[in-house]
Amino acid sequence: MEKIILLIPGIPILIAFLLFFIRKKELIPKVSIILSSMIALLALYGTYYVISNDAQIVGFNGLLVYNELSAILVPYVAILGLVIRKYATKYMWDEAGYRRFFILLNFIFASIYLLVMSNNLIVLALAWQLMSVGLYLLVSFNVGSKTAVKNARWTMYIHKGADFVFLLAVILTYQTFGSFDLLVLKEKWLVMSQSPVTDPMVLTVGLLYLLAAMMKSAIVPFHIWLPYTSEAPTPVSGLMHAGVVNVGGILLNKMAYLLILTPMVLNIAFVIGLFTAIFASMLMLVVSDIKRSLGYSTVGQMGYMIMEIGLGAFSLAIYHLIVHGIFKASLFLESGSIIKYARKDPNIPERLSHKTFLEENTKYKSSKTFKLIALFTIVPVVVFIGIKMILAPEFFEFNAAIVILAFAWLTGTQLFLSFFKVSKFDSIKAIFGIISSFIIVLFSYEFIGLSLEHFLYGHDSLLFYKAATLNVTLVSALLVLSLVMIVGWLFIYKQHFITLPANKEKSTKSKWSFYKLLVKEGYYFEIFNSSKKGKL
Amino acid sequence: MITDNIVFLNIVFLLLSGGVPYFILLEKSDSFSAKSIFIVSGFLLLTGVIISFFTDREYMTSFVLVSFFTALYSIYRATQTTNFYKLGYYFIFMNAPFFILFEEHGAFYSLSLLVSLLGIYAIASFYEKHYGSANYLYVRGITLATPLIGIHITVYLITIGLYPPLPNSLFFLTHIFNSEANALWLVIVITLYAGNFLVSMRVLEKSIFGKKNPNIHYVDLNFKEKITHFTIIVSLVLLSIYGVKEILTWA
Repeated sequence: MEKIILLIPGIPILIAFLLFFIRKKELIPKVSIILSSMIALLALYGTYYVISNDAQIVGFNGLLVYNELSAILVPYVAILGLVIRKYATKYMWDEAGYRRFFILLNFIFASIYLLVMSNNLIVLALAWQLMSVGLYLLVSFNVGSKTAVKNARWTMYIHKGADFVFLLAVILTYQTFGSFDLLVLKEKWLVMSQSPVTDPMVLTVGLLYLLAAMMKSAIVPFHIWLPYTSEAPTPVSGLMHAGVVNVGGILLNKMAYLLILTPMVLNIAFVIGLFTAIFASMLMLVVSDIKRSLGYSTVGQMGYMIMEIGLGAFSLAIYHLIVHGIFKASLFLESGSIIKYARKDPNIPERLSHKTFLEENTKYKSSKTFKLIALFTIVPVVVFIGIKMILAPEFFEFNAAIVILAFAWLTGTQLFLSFFKVSKFDSIKAIFGIISSFIIVLFSYEFIGLSLEHFLYGHDSLLFYKAATLNVTLVSALLVLSLVMIVGWLFIYKQHFITLPANKEKSTKSKWSFYKLLVKEGYYFEIFNSSKKGKL
Repeated sequence: MITDNIVFLNIVFLLLSGGVPYFILLEKSDSFSAKSIFIVSGFLLLTGVIISFFTDREYMTSFVLVSFFTALYSIYRATQTTNFYKLGYYFIFMNAPFFILFEEHGAFYSLSLLVSLLGIYAIASFYEKHYGSANYLYVRGITLATPLIGIHITVYLITIGLYPPLPNSLFFLTHIFNSEANALWLVIVITLYAGNFLVSMRVLEKSIFGKKNPNIHYVDLNFKEKITHFTIIVSLVLLSIYGVKEILTWA
C-alpha cells in the first residue's frame, strides 16, 4: 500500500498530459491544484509512514526511495507547489500561454520529485537534466522579450555545464565504486571511511559533484543566471528561489557519505560558500532592482548552505534550504505589492546601500548604550554555547564548531541590535525581555535543527563533522573568532553610536571604489565582454 | 584482431552515416537542392542503421577520427545556416562519430536521430509551403501565433540537443554509462554533446522565440500535418520507452 507514494513523480506528468486536452481555461488551474493536493497528501502520508515505522519505502527495483530526506523535502516541495499554482492562477491569467505555463510547471515539479526520491545515480542524472530543460522553458516563458530569452540562454548554458559535469561524475562513480545504487554506495562509502582514502579518483568524483552542485545552486562564479532571470513570471521566480536552486544542496546531501572520504572537497566547499555568502550579500545591498536584489540574497543564502555542507553540517543545510525557501518564496510572491506601494511612496524600498556604506547614523551617543551593545555582543555567544552544551555537547569536539559559533554570533548580534532599535528602551526589564526571547528562539531553532539531524543521519552526523574538521589548532581558531568579533563589534559601534563631524560625512575615495565594485556586480559583465573582444 | 571484414564494414558505415563530408560536393551540384541532400543523407543513414542491426560492430579509431573531423566541420556549417533542410543534414553529419563509436547503441541513437530529423523535415516542408522557403530566421513569433508548431520545433530540437526523457539522450547515456572512457572517447563525447546542444539551442532561440510579426500571415498545421507530427511524436515516445528500458537495465 505504502508503495503508492513512489508514484508521486509521475502525478505531475499525468497532470501535464491532462492539461493538454482541457479546453476550458478555468479548468486548467483547478485540475492542476486538485491533483497537486493529492501529491501533498501522499507526501504527508509517506512522511508519517517513515517516521512511525522508522523504515524507508523502496520500490521500482530500488530505483526510487522515500527515505528520511524525501520525508522532509517532498512535502515541502508539494506544499510549495500548491502555493505557486494557486498564486499563478490569477497572476498568469492574462498572459499568453496560460496552458503552456501550467504544463511546464508540472514538468519541473516532476523532475524535482524524481530528483529528491531517486535512489539511483542514473535516475538522478535523468531528473537533473530534465530540470534544466524545464527551467529553460519556464525562464524564457515570455518569448516576446529579448532580454528574457537572452537570460534564459545563460541559464541554459550554466545548467548544461552542470549536467555534463554531473554525468562525468556519475560515470566515474560507477567506474570507481561499481554501482549506481545509492544505498549500496552508501554502505561502501561507510566502510571505506574507516580507513584513510588515498585514491585520487575519489577526490575527483567528489570535486565533480561539488562543481555540479555549485552550478545549479548559483554559487560564485556560476551565480549570474539567478539574479538575471528575474524577468521570468513571479511564480517562476518563487519556484526558482525556493526550489530549483536548492538542488545543489540536495545533491550534496545525497553524496554526504562520499564526501566523508574527501575532506578536501568539504574544505573547498566551505571557502567558496563563505566567499559567495559575503560577496552576494553585499551585492544584494547595492542593486536597485528589487527582484535582482532578492536574487543576490538567494545567491548569498546558497553560499551559506554550501558553507554549512563544507563544515559537515549537512542536515543544517537542509534545514536552511527549507526555511530560506519558505521565506524567499513569500518575499517573491509579495514583491508585486511592494512595487505597487513604491509607486506611491518614493521612500520604498529603503536605500539600504546608501545607508550602509555612506550614511553615518548619529542618533545615539551615550556610554550606557556602549555598555549595552558590548553586553549584546557577548550575550549571543554565551547563550549559543549554553544551549549547544545542553543539547549537543559533542558539537564542541570539532573545529567546525568555532566557525558555526562565529556565524551564530553575527546573527545573534544582528538580532539583538534589531530588537534594541525597535524597543528603544534601556531598562533592565527590556534587556531581560530581549535576552529571554532570544534564548527561547535560539533554543527552539537548535532543538528543531538537532532533531532534524538525528532524523536524517543519526550518529553518522558526527562522522561528517569529523571529516570537515579544519586543519587548524583550537587556539588559532579561537583567535580568529575573537578577531571577527572585535572587528564586527567595532563596525557596529562606529555605525550606530559615534557622532561624526559634519565634514566627515563626505565619503572617501576608497568607499566610492568599493561601492562602485558592488554596483557593477563585481565587474562580471565587463570582464566577460573584454574576454569576448579579446582584450583579456 | 582486425580482419578485412571489419575494415570493410567500417568503410561502409563511415560512408553511410555521413562520416565523410560528401555534402560539400552535392551542395556544389545544381541537380541537388538542400531538400534532396537531406533525403539522400537520411536514406543512407537509415540503410546504415538497418545493416548495423544484422552485423557485429567493432569500431576502428582511424575511421572515428575521420568522422570526427567531418562532424567538427558540420558543426561550423550548421552555425552558418538558417535553413531547416540544411540544418537537418548537418545534424546527420555531426552525429556520424556517435554512430560509429557507440557500436550497437549507435544504431538506436541514429534511429532516434532520424525520427527527430523527420520532424525537422516536416517542419521545413511546412515553412516552404506556407512561408516560401525553409528559412526560419524571418518567421518569428511562432510560439505566440501558432503554439502547436512551436511545441513541435521545441520537442525536435530538444531531442537533438540531448535532453531526457527524449530518446537521443537516453541512448547516448546508455552508451556513456556502459563504456570505458579513453582520451578519444572523451574528446568526441564532450565535443558532440556540446555541439548538438549549442546548435539546437541556437536554432530554438532564433525560431520559436520573438514577438508576432504583423506582416506575416501565420498558418497553423492542417489535419494531415497534425497526423504526421503526431506519428513522429508517438515514434519518439516509443523510442523513449525503449530507451528508458535500456538505460534502467544498466541501472
